[in-house]
Amino acid sequence: MLEVVQPGLETSIQDYPGRIGFWNQGFPPSGPMDSWSFRLANLLVGNEAGTAGLECQYMGPTLKFRRDGVIAVTGADMQPKLDGQPIPMWESVAVKAGQTLALGPAKLGTRAYIAIAGGIDTPEWLGSRSTFHKAGVGGMEGRALKPGQVVPVAAGKGKAGRKVKPEARPAFATDKRWTIEVVPGPNDDWIDKAGHERFLATDWKLSAKSDRTGFRLDGPQWTFTEKATNKAPEHGAEPSNIIDQGYPLGAINLAGQTPIILVNDGPSMGGFICPYTVPSAAFWKLGQSKPGEVYRFKSVSVDEAQELRKRLKALCTPSSIV
Amino acid sequence: MIYDEPKFLAGGDRYMLIEFGNEMNLELNFMAQGLASAIEQSKTRGVVETAPCFASMLIHYDPDAIAFRDLQKEMASLIGSLGPSDDIELDSRLFYFPTCYLDPWTKKAVEDYCDKITKKEWDPAFVARLNELTDVQQFVRVHSGTEYWVASLGFWPGLPFMMALDPRCFLTAPKYNPPRTWTPQGTVGMGGASTAIYPVATPGGYQIFARIPVPIWDTEKRFPEFEASICLFRPGDRVKFVPVSVEEFEGVEAQVKDGTYVYNVVEYQRFSVRNYKKWVQSLDRTQRF
Amino acid sequence: MAERVETMVPGNVWKVMVKPGDKVSSGDVLFILEVMKTEVPHTAGADGTVTAVHIAEGQEGVDAGTVAVEIG
Repeated sequence: MLEVVQPGLETSIQDYPGRIGFWNQGFPPSGPMDSWSFRLANLLVGNEAGTAGLECQYMGPTLKFRRDGVIAVTGADMQPKLDGQPIPMWESVAVKAGQTLALGPAKLGTRAYIAIAGGIDTPEWLGSRSTFHKAGVGGMEGRALKPGQVVPVAAGKGKAGRKVKPEARPAFATDKRWTIEVVPGPNDDWIDKAGHERFLATDWKLSAKSDRTGFRLDGPQWTFTEKATNKAPEHGAEPSNIIDQGYPLGAINLAGQTPIILVNDGPSMGGFICPYTVPSAAFWKLGQSKPGEVYRFKSVSVDEAQELRKRLKALCTPSSIV
Repeated sequence: MIYDEPKFLAGGDRYMLIEFGNEMNLELNFMAQGLASAIEQSKTRGVVETAPCFASMLIHYDPDAIAFRDLQKEMASLIGSLGPSDDIELDSRLFYFPTCYLDPWTKKAVEDYCDKITKKEWDPAFVARLNELTDVQQFVRVHSGTEYWVASLGFWPGLPFMMALDPRCFLTAPKYNPPRTWTPQGTVGMGGASTAIYPVATPGGYQIFARIPVPIWDTEKRFPEFEASICLFRPGDRVKFVPVSVEEFEGVEAQVKDGTYVYNVVEYQRFSVRNYKKWVQSLDRTQRF
Repeated sequence: MAERVETMVPGNVWKVMVKPGDKVSSGDVLFILEVMKTEVPHTAGADGTVTAVHIAEGQEGVDAGTVAVEIG
């Protein structure tokens, strides 16, 4: 139904919550990085919040519709145009067979989401349509969209003109600075007091070497407690080496001295410590930030992180749509 | 060290990491897998999935269904009811893999690394020397002389991390520094005290010395073993590497290609930690094969 | 007619193909940025002569929307 005229930088099929239940075989959940914008896009077109849609990164695709339908574009501002005419974001729009939707480079934010009434209808892999390109599963033949492909869409009924209430949308940083919530742990006791203070007081810069596998941060060195320096040799030679352990999604993984936030397509386990973890409610900020922008981390408790998640979940419901 | 009480660590808003100890010790993995199995049987509310690792277990839970502190209580109680790790029994499949040791493909990968990155001793010779074995032939006898226990899967999807069950075959090896940029698919390698099989050609840091011709990863599900998942292994499986020649390797490779290969897997055994430990006590650990 | 070629994505400058004085045709690749381990080539929109180059190979962390090359 959706003909890929031009695929953009990396556009892939994702669903929410993604591929669940295969962590112990090394499969991450994948799914949309900004699940807030993603879920709202689906609700706008009358889909369930987690229905498969498209995640567009940095530069969006050009798609031709082979059938009438209803779509919505949310997330980063890629200035969507239908047959050359701008269409509103955060609003459902009717499209007709033969029309072309073009998304350009992201002006504010990084990832835009396209939902279509009925939802994308590719085969599920291990319970999910989300793309995990490392393993070649999900999505369109296991990868991001390629020119000439036709993405199947199930029949659906959407209504044009539905909007997301302004107060229910994520507010992107406009000054290139983001406050990212983090929960200390699991391995926070490997970092000394000065190391914790330094981490929370630093303007960490997001590296351009970041992608859906991991978000690399540039900043100062970490300093460690005795737990890191006085341990059995099988942990490994570096202070940040630990006997291989499972990695929580969102863990700030300290590979040597380089912190890498493990995100949607990241490794499920490894031999480096995770002194902090970004909670699920803050993931949309990771998904919308650009290399060169600054992260300031704010320590929150598990309870506070769960409260944020609850509030976000409440916003991703039909009550946010008018 | 095996902790007297496991440690319950928070991972963000939805994860709990349970640490059983801080050393490479099969006992700790038995505890992790024993708990994973118990959770599955008791269907603990709020647990979405679990992933055991060498000495720990990661739990992904639903905070709407259960709070961290309540999950901690449930886990502590479940661990308590499991009793000593000696009581743990797990269904355990056993795979026999035809394995070409000292193969030309991993040798080429090492030579390539020496050309492009930095010189090093050929991996089997290096590992033999470090572990005070007489030569690479003894290394092959020792490495292939034991069943390997799949302790966990990860780092790359479908990649098994295994530990030798027979203490007479314990070996260790440091990792490459810097790592290789590629490893042939099906390579068998060692890092630290664990053995791994590379499911596809990936970068890697383990010492490499053998290769298997059968897929442990199959997105096309061409064989019945991949019915439930594209990944062959589950934690708690065991593997026996059966040394074969290059010719035999290529013969099996052809069978895999035309779909006639039949996996050699034994599926009626139950692994008993008590019996395992009794057996280990009876061995003369100073004897190598 | 002057053309200001802006970076479409934030990233690192992997290659710069032109210098001031070079004649370019519409569609010629002027420079390539790298983000998410992906190369993003940037091309000239029209024929002309390069009057200024504001980026350098190896430069890291260039913002999206930066004027990178000017063509007169």
